Amino acid sequence: MEGKQPAFDISAGPIPGELHLAAGQEAAGAGVCQHLRDDDTVTAPHRPHHVAIAKGVDLKRMTAEIFGRETGLGKGKGGHMHLFDPEVNFACSGIIAEGCPPAAGAALAAKKRNTDSVAVAYLGEGAIDQGAFLESLNFAAVRDLPVVFVIEDNDWAISMPKERVTDVEVGSDRADGFDMPGRRVDADDAVAVYDAAREAVGRARDRNGPTLLELQVHRRMGHFMGDPETYRPDEDQEAAAARDSIERLAEDLRAAGVDDARLSDLRADAEARVEEAIEWANEQPKPAPAAAHEDMWVNPGTGVTDSEPDFDLAGGDD
Amino acid sequence: MSETVDRERAIDRELTMSRAMVEAIATEMRDDEEVFYMGEDVADYGGIFDSTQGLREEFGYDRVMDVPISETAYLGAAVGAAQEGMRPIAELMFVDFFGVAMDQIYNQMAKNTYMSGGNVSVPMVLTAAVGGTYNDAAQHSQTLYGTFAHVPGMKVVVPSTAYEAKGLMHNAIRDDDPVVYMFHKRLMGIGWLPAPDGPKTPVPEEAYTIPFGSADVKREGADATIVTLGLHVHRALDAAESLSEAGIDAEVIDLRSLVPLDTDTIVESIEKTGALVVVDEDYRSYGVTGEIVASVADEALGALDAVERVAIPDVPIPYSRPLENEVVPDADDIEAAVTRTQ
Amino acid sequence: MAESDRVAVTLAEWPDDVDSDEGVVVNWFVREGGRADAGDSLCEVQIEKVSLDVYAPAAGRLTEVVVGEDGEFADGDTLAWMVPDGG
Repeated sequence: MEGKQPAFDISAGPIPGELHLAAGQEAAGAGVCQHLRDDDTVTAPHRPHHVAIAKGVDLKRMTAEIFGRETGLGKGKGGHMHLFDPEVNFACSGIIAEGCPPAAGAALAAKKRNTDSVAVAYLGEGAIDQGAFLESLNFAAVRDLPVVFVIEDNDWAISMPKERVTDVEVGSDRADGFDMPGRRVDADDAVAVYDAAREAVGRARDRNGPTLLELQVHRRMGHFMGDPETYRPDEDQEAAAARDSIERLAEDLRAAGVDDARLSDLRADAEARVEEAIEWANEQPKPAPAAAHEDMWVNPGTGVTDSEPDFDLAGGDD
Repeated sequence: MSETVDRERAIDRELTMSRAMVEAIATEMRDDEEVFYMGEDVADYGGIFDSTQGLREEFGYDRVMDVPISETAYLGAAVGAAQEGMRPIAELMFVDFFGVAMDQIYNQMAKNTYMSGGNVSVPMVLTAAVGGTYNDAAQHSQTLYGTFAHVPGMKVVVPSTAYEAKGLMHNAIRDDDPVVYMFHKRLMGIGWLPAPDGPKTPVPEEAYTIPFGSADVKREGADATIVTLGLHVHRALDAAESLSEAGIDAEVIDLRSLVPLDTDTIVESIEKTGALVVVDEDYRSYGVTGEIVASVADEALGALDAVERVAIPDVPIPYSRPLENEVVPDADDIEAAVTRTQ
Repeated sequence: MAESDRVAVTLAEWPDDVDSDEGVVVNWFVREGGRADAGDSLCEVQIEKVSLDVYAPAAGRLTEVVVGEDGEFADGDTLAWMVPDGG
């Protein structure tokens, strides 16, 4: 049957497994993370790479991790869906909505410690039906936590279009059930996202509680690398390509007087950084097989002691 | 006056297991502001199985947090707070409630350290009330030792006495790794669920730590080895008393820790007795009894003359008293199993 | 040591919000012959649903347990005897 074969062999090339591509969703990463500091925590789902880059995750080590190398962020043990960069408090994970409760927890820690750091949990529009998300909204609202939940609405949950699986058309309307503000940004536009995020992040930082933000983005490619997208009408794919947020931002910059040479430089700069990261990652060693048995814990199995205390216990019934 | 010289070194004060557990938590909370407790009904109620009695009175509602009935959210929040360096103790009111939140437990709490190559740690304690024997039926009587021990990434401990409850709790809180601390409801010393003789023991006033991965020989013997944990340590000791009258000398080993598991102590005992009886208040198949037998067989097959597995059969735990008594092993069941090995 | 040196261990105050005249000793925390400081919790009693601690009236030695675990007692009953230090 035509279209049933993945477009290529996922085991060829430097990436050992599947990959969920974020092309087209850049505005959601850049627009929000511009307001965040290294001590602010971000959790993201299985399609996190634009968010990771915007958050300041070490690009070389992220690439090496995606390539499964020993010097990757997780020594090759986590891979593209489980990237942890504690230097900038970024983590992503592979179960839908799973990052929402830990983001609420990071916000809880900030509140307990009386700092003004905030947490942001990214999730897809397909995740707003998941218990972990709904419970996190309640938990954040009842505890008044400095967390922003950011829904990236790219219209598709693998092959499920939104209207077939979710009762509300506007995901941020879920906030109405939870005593927190909700806002949707309808345009896939980095500046519009930036403005909405300024309000939401600001609200959290000023200790005025959580916000639910929904951002329209467009998935330029399939759900995963190699997905032939037979479920997606051609017009939908073409429309997505036409609304690319990077092109849109370039137009805005031109309108503001930035010349083409400068835009060219910016692009070249970014591409060079990526090339450099790929080149570096390609040179990194693969982990030794024996390393698979390490790093389950940071302390020894015995905990903080390996010896039995020495007490004279009087009595006892045994 | 001379008699006081020895007595001063000895510890006169005994505590119930719940008080010992709470004493450890309170000490750690006094020493470190970053330690906090979260669970259902833990503040004013003091925990429905007395796990937090008196803590709210001393530390307030911010550090002893009542949470909504929302295990995924608050256990996941504990993971997030722990990754920020705090030391949360999060409670499952009944271990049976793990089902609604297992993703945060086994896919986040247990795995984040490994997936990050050791760059992130999760210094939290997950406490859980376990066990039956009081007719609370299938959804509120389980221990689930096997389930938590099976999935990699969590340290799992099961105290059987007040002395161990305190030492293991101090270690669990101070450890930078995630520890599942499973406390048996009937060992706590609660008025409406009286404990047998045994769990109430002398408890030193000062803080102390007991290592994980270390089993304790509670009773020495030469004829058979009973390996067990939790409530059944005391049932095994009762059985051993009765067996000794019949001339059978049983050794009772309290595992105390499922992960890591101390097989050395068990193997040493088997090399002496040759007869292995494993007693577990969890389901028979694919669990603790099978694991212990296999571990011994791996290391000392030649020393094994007899094997008995005493566990809850592979059925949901029934409600009515004669039915529950049938499925949960008692001292008579243990005695019969040991006798069969001789 | 003379008998008159010993001090009774009793429940300080019967709770207001119970109807019953009787309580049960649930747990002893010090055995006969054991030492305790003033204010240490010696035992836990239960009166209906209310759980209360009974405290050592002085620092000293618990010489006799009068009402054992699961034993019943009424308001004012002596639960145990203590001999204070320096007596």
